[in-house]
Amino acid sequence: MEYVSPEGLRLDGRRPMEMRQIRAEIGTVARADGSAVFEMGNTKVIAAVYGPREVQNRSQQISDQALVRCEYSMANFSTGDRRRKPKGDRRSTEISLVIRQTMEACILTHLMPRSQIDIFVQVLQADGGTRSACINAATLALADAGIPMRDIVTSCSAGYLNSTPLLDLNYIEDSAGGPDVTVGILPKLDKVTLLQMDAKLPLDIFENVMGLATEGCKAVANYIREVLLENTKQLEYRRGL
Amino acid sequence: MVGLSVGEKHFIQGGIAQDLRSDGRKRLTYRPIYVETGVIPQAHGSARIRLGATDVIASVKGELGKPSALQPDKGKIAIYVDCSPTAAPMFEGRGGEELSTELSVALQRCLLGGKSGAGSGIDPSSLVIVEGKVCWDLYIDGLVISSDGNLLDALGAAIKAALSNTGIPKVNVASETSGDEQPEVNISDEEFLRFDTSGIPVIVTLTKVGRHNIVDATSEEESQMSSAISISINRKGRICGLTKRGGAGLDPSIILDMISVAKHVSEQLIDKLDSEIAAAEADEEES
Repeated sequence: MEYVSPEGLRLDGRRPMEMRQIRAEIGTVARADGSAVFEMGNTKVIAAVYGPREVQNRSQQISDQALVRCEYSMANFSTGDRRRKPKGDRRSTEISLVIRQTMEACILTHLMPRSQIDIFVQVLQADGGTRSACINAATLALADAGIPMRDIVTSCSAGYLNSTPLLDLNYIEDSAGGPDVTVGILPKLDKVTLLQMDAKLPLDIFENVMGLATEGCKAVANYIREVLLENTKQLEYRRGL
Repeated sequence: MVGLSVGEKHFIQGGIAQDLRSDGRKRLTYRPIYVETGVIPQAHGSARIRLGATDVIASVKGELGKPSALQPDKGKIAIYVDCSPTAAPMFEGRGGEELSTELSVALQRCLLGGKSGAGSGIDPSSLVIVEGKVCWDLYIDGLVISSDGNLLDALGAAIKAALSNTGIPKVNVASETSGDEQPEVNISDEEFLRFDTSGIPVIVTLTKVGRHNIVDATSEEESQMSSAISISINRKGRICGLTKRGGAGLDPSIILDMISVAKHVSEQLIDKLDSEIAAAEADEEES
């Protein structure tokens, strides 16, 4: 199948180096301590953060740092054909783990010993790149909850199809079977916190694809900063400062 | 779940006794309802309802299936509700399952009528394409995103809005079919069937706190309830289903009183909901 037309356009009309439209909104779940919606094209996820609060299960308490927990769930209607999945299947457990480890790397957990932070991500629409969208949403929600972080984490994926590196794969491109590189970075510190790839890729091309994904992460980071700044301005305005 | 001090409990109960609740409402007023339709593009119909801090999404998806042998002239409708852990940390893992099942069953009872399909808000025989062979299976999925009490009413309203937003593709059947063969069908992507949603009831939950009944309780108020009755009532004022929750027993005459109060409240709710749904649909068409 042809994923990039001779004119250099992808199936959904994007250029190879173009991202889908991103949109974010802070404070969508009123009762959570922090929450955000993040959309990348047709992929839409909600993240809610509860905490820092008392550890619910005493045996999990850590005496010198905060306990970070994460749960990823998909809505029944999020995929094209409706399917009822049991909670806690292997895929969602793996993604929960990935998100938890990525967020743990940026939260200043040593400032909140003997406490617990819960991150819940809920996929409303899945169209490829849910991992990245979840991490971006979780960053925003953590920032909204006012949890101290080293830097924001942003994530983006890139792939390689028809000998072209493609940024931000959608579902059709994702299921084409080509390599899919998901990168998460701390943009200010310039460090990679998440890197996953399936399928195989020559080393020099991998460098290109990863570079592309990193550029994507930086673009997301700029947007997230804008959203956070706008949100802070609104808060300031409401306080009458 | 809700940690309240003795003073706060007294404040909530006292407010209800004096017909002035903590958020300034009277006992029988709803919080403002916000309706948004077409929020899930992959579904055949969807809606999001916000009622104060309660936030739910309902989606309707149709799939071609085979009618059951016992009822060859009827399609199947199923309602499933999921409580997302984003709504409350206690829904993590399997924690939300009990509430999800309770809500699914209550909704099924209130909106879909009995096993025969009689009294259903949607006529299941309108879902049949070829009798005994092909029908639409309608899957209604509810998702609780944020929970601040009164989930059942909100989900009922969301399902009503989602169904009026639903367009099921028209199916053309190739004419010659014989015997046990599955007929060939053609799903049209231009023509859509709409449902008549005027018969779908709304659900009104009356929560008994102390000696008084309130509608649209927040989760703080729900924590003070002795019992609650959810009554689904359609536009004609008929009762379509009833569920009682909570431990305390109720006097039969009080139940009848509560039903007549619910009937009165439901008239305003239906009008309000219908106008909000119409406004949301108009908004969606514009954008």
